[in-house]
Amino acid sequence: MKGAGKKAGRAAVKARGGADAAVASPTATDTSAAGMGLACRGVTFSYEEGREAVPAVRDVGFELAAGGSLALLGASGAGKSTLLQLVRGLDEPEAGAVVLDGVKPGGERYAALRREIGLVFQIPELQLFAASAREDVAFGPRRLRWSDERVKEAVSAALELVGLPEEKFGDRHPYALSGGEQRRLALAGVLAMKPRLLLLDEPFVSLDPGTRRQLAGILGRLKGAGVTIILATHDVDLAWALCDDVLVLSAGEVAASGAWEFDAAARDLLVRNRLREPQLVELWRRLGRDLATAPRTAAEAAEALA
Amino acid sequence: MTAPLLDISGLHYRYPGARSDALADLDLSVHEGEFVAVVGANGSGKSTLARLLGGLDRPAAARRAGACGHDLLTGDGRLAARRDVGVLFQNPENQLVAEHVEEDIAFGLENLGWPSADIRRRVDEMLARFDLKDLRRREPHLLSGGQKQRAALAGVLAIPRRAIVLDEPTAMLDPAGRADVLAAVAALRVEGLAVVYITQEMDEVVGADTVVGLEGGSEVYAGGVDDLFADGELVRRLNLGLPVAAEVAQELARRGRPLPALPLTLDALLAGLSERS
Repeated sequence: MKGAGKKAGRAAVKARGGADAAVASPTATDTSAAGMGLACRGVTFSYEEGREAVPAVRDVGFELAAGGSLALLGASGAGKSTLLQLVRGLDEPEAGAVVLDGVKPGGERYAALRREIGLVFQIPELQLFAASAREDVAFGPRRLRWSDERVKEAVSAALELVGLPEEKFGDRHPYALSGGEQRRLALAGVLAMKPRLLLLDEPFVSLDPGTRRQLAGILGRLKGAGVTIILATHDVDLAWALCDDVLVLSAGEVAASGAWEFDAAARDLLVRNRLREPQLVELWRRLGRDLATAPRTAAEAAEALA
Repeated sequence: MTAPLLDISGLHYRYPGARSDALADLDLSVHEGEFVAVVGANGSGKSTLARLLGGLDRPAAARRAGACGHDLLTGDGRLAARRDVGVLFQNPENQLVAEHVEEDIAFGLENLGWPSADIRRRVDEMLARFDLKDLRRREPHLLSGGQKQRAALAGVLAIPRRAIVLDEPTAMLDPAGRADVLAAVAALRVEGLAVVYITQEMDEVVGADTVVGLEGGSEVYAGGVDDLFADGELVRRLNLGLPVAAEVAQELARRGRPLPALPLTLDALLAGLSERS
């Protein structure tokens, strides 16, 4: 995590893959052949407020390799949701560009790449609308004009992946599902389109801890399967458990990006941005242990402490 | 001991057309200055409880359903309860109604007919308390999720309350915003409000006087925080989790290195580890 415009601090905590990736089998899903590479270059966007233009993101630049996982952190209002929407292509940047797999905006190839990006909105279950779980998940693939057979397969695989097997849940009305099941159904709707780049906007909000664990497990499996992931979240503990890299947005600008770091400067930067260090990292620091070995999960911590 | 501000016994509620109760035979008593946390899986009845306590829905039946001395079984009682019991819902979008943040905070006070000078003073106080001064003229739809939640909380608390029910108030907040809300809630408790705090954040349960666990609309636990987290079977059944410190301790125990007591905070975990070594 390099502070923007500053010299690099101490050696970064080496990425070792989140714990949920460790329990996941990379062959558990065929959601994606390979992840998509992403580069944002000078991405800038403003909202209009009355007659004023309020900058939402400004000159945002970062790269994420295919199969990488990035935690997008920042205070409320820092521009996380806006940035995800720009990457997805729901808004066009005023300046700068979102480069996908090395392809610049414009042209047929870029449009095709854009269709391989999935965005899971905040509280995505509000957008469930069909009369059955199966139909809801099929909506996206159909819009991509896939063959009936391909749609059927994709729907079945996506439902399976989120733990709502089609035999049991396919005919159920989305509103007859629990809140946690609805969230997973909404995720299935995005996964059915086999995104190579998956963007998630606060996916854990309002979920009970058990459902959160399930969802973290699903994301771990997708990561293991090579899907590129950007996770916008306030939950620094889950961000640390799941993502190899981190990007901190501050009032729409990149405050830091790269591998996680937890030296004093990095810690200050987190606090200045209304964040905090993950609890397991705090534990390691207070135990006087080498932060380069800080555990990602409670199990890793216990393994080292036992 | 004084009578509880929230005094519920044998309460039932069923949504129109539903085949079973959303809440069944619920008991709850919360005194002045008491902090009761409510936990349970998605769909266990937590938000339904929030609406009933705030006088927004009519209980189907109850032996007792008192809120700040008002009877929630009568229409007049529910109306009176709405003034004394503040309710902050999960989704702040539905609670922001005015054109600007400060108008929104003033909204409830205007309805109560407060003099405008008092309203202005109270609104300024709330803007400062919830770090909203710079956003006072902003339109609610331009706020981020966390900012909306802070504005909604400021609006609920602008009206002086005797009890407050918070339904996952920190769900959309950044860690600092979360700390702000928790500090505000702690202050309310000191001021003597009865606090019912619905949450999915296990770390936020730790400071509660009592925890109530709901499962499918029934109360399956009411007791201390330590005993709840020590009951692994119940924690699993309610789809709960453990605070991070307790999770580490549990993993240590699994590896044959148990700590003397289950720690719920990092401080307690560090103390347990140093005691062991």
